[in-house]
Amino acid sequence: MLKLSEVSVAYGGLQAVASVSLDVAEGEFVTIVGPNGAGKTTLLKAVGGGVPLQAGRVEYRGRDISGLPAHARARLGVAHVPEGRKVFPSLSVLENLEMGSYRAEARSRRGEGLDTVFGLFPVLRERRQQLAGSLSGGEQQMLAIGRGIMALPDLLLLDEPSQGLGPRIVEGIFEAIAAIRRSRPITILLVEQRVVEALELCDRGYVLETGRVALSGDRQTLLADPRVQHAYLGA
Amino acid sequence: MALGDLVQYVVTGLLVGGVYALMSIGLALIFGVMRVVNFAQGDFMMLGMYVTYFLTTAYGIDPLLGAVLIVPPFFLVGVAVHRVLLARVTGGGDPQRLMDTQLILTLGLSLIITNGATMLLTPMPRGIKTSYATQAFVVGPILMNEARSYAFLMALLLAGVVYVFLTRTDLGKALRAAADEPEAAGYQGIDVRAMHGLAFGVGIALVAAAGGLLATYHPIEPTVAVNFIVLMFVAVVLGGLGSIPGAFAGGLVIGVVQSLTLLVLPFQLQNVGVFIAFLLVLYLRPQGLFGQRLRTV
Repeated sequence: MLKLSEVSVAYGGLQAVASVSLDVAEGEFVTIVGPNGAGKTTLLKAVGGGVPLQAGRVEYRGRDISGLPAHARARLGVAHVPEGRKVFPSLSVLENLEMGSYRAEARSRRGEGLDTVFGLFPVLRERRQQLAGSLSGGEQQMLAIGRGIMALPDLLLLDEPSQGLGPRIVEGIFEAIAAIRRSRPITILLVEQRVVEALELCDRGYVLETGRVALSGDRQTLLADPRVQHAYLGA
Repeated sequence: MALGDLVQYVVTGLLVGGVYALMSIGLALIFGVMRVVNFAQGDFMMLGMYVTYFLTTAYGIDPLLGAVLIVPPFFLVGVAVHRVLLARVTGGGDPQRLMDTQLILTLGLSLIITNGATMLLTPMPRGIKTSYATQAFVVGPILMNEARSYAFLMALLLAGVVYVFLTRTDLGKALRAAADEPEAAGYQGIDVRAMHGLAFGVGIALVAAAGGLLATYHPIEPTVAVNFIVLMFVAVVLGGLGSIPGAFAGGLVIGVVQSLTLLVLPFQLQNVGVFIAFLLVLYLRPQGLFGQRLRTV
């Protein structure tokens, strides 16, 4: 469904992502893990359209989308839940969710999307008239994910949903992500710094280090890999 | 000074402030969505005054109606100016450099429009004569100039339409979303560049309409912009940068302060009061009346 071929991204002279190739099959849950500054967020932005490619190509459903702006990719069914949540602070919770269903395919099925989101995150229903900027960090993350779900996406990109949140809330967020996957056919690409949680949730993973794929494989292989165990699992 | 005088001055100020409010929300919308300070805003107001004037003198169209009729064409002018000029200096790139080029561009546009109008239309001031310009409604002890009252009501009506558009339609909400978080707006399928064009079009249309309303009681000349662009900037900053309700309130406040200044200072110095109030607000509440303190989550 998604195929990255030798993708490179640079900021100024700084190489953030260097010749990364990866693929995600329809319905798969793939995670990209790695330390801070490994280029995970940049790589996800390259999929969502948030940064221009220096080299390589991004294919979605067999179509080269490398040159498409973010909003055109969103209209194709790619929902990007960005790092740092980036909810619309001066819009109400409900308005944020409505903007999630801005693309035509989702707009006509807004009620369905709202039911799903409020089912996953009941607190958002209670706070739907509140300004998004007044929510707690955890609630904003729920809203950002909910906004992504509202697009009824085929491919959901999640960038560090656990960032800056307490362990209890993180657990809830990861449970919600697992629930999203059970509830409808969806492909998920998750970027995480919490390596264990992310690997346990996924089908397959990539370990990114200094902009390159250091390791890849299915969940079991990665969790059992001595390098992963040593670097991330404290074994 | 009797209490009645005070009420009279406040009412007079509010009536004028309504038109200031309308022109200011145009500027606030453009700044809020595009982060562009449009120095040519006052010149589009001046053009709105002239077009309304010619609609009245050539076709006998009442200026209150003319002010509304010019909204669609000025919207298109705004969209075109965005596409041809501003789109080149917004979006990606070094923010400081972008800001410099934006300032030069809008300032240059302002100079060209002012001087172009002076060449083509002559510096001679013109005025629209209406039956209501010299009439007044009498409400108890208060006098309300008819032209200003009608202009006030029309300004309120147009601002109300904008408010409904921004809060009740998907397109309006998308505009606010693009102002809040442009990157995330793109991820929702919102074309941020198109939103810039929309904001600029609406902003120009609003200030032109405000010009049309102003023309019912204010002389029309090519350099009229200078007197108003400063008031618009003050209103927008007073209300909290980029806030639409803030700019609206800021416009009303300026009208009232201007009017009350006349109680203590001669007419030529009426903006002194505005600037004193401005400095006071900046000192006591630097984020503006409706602005929010920067928040980090």
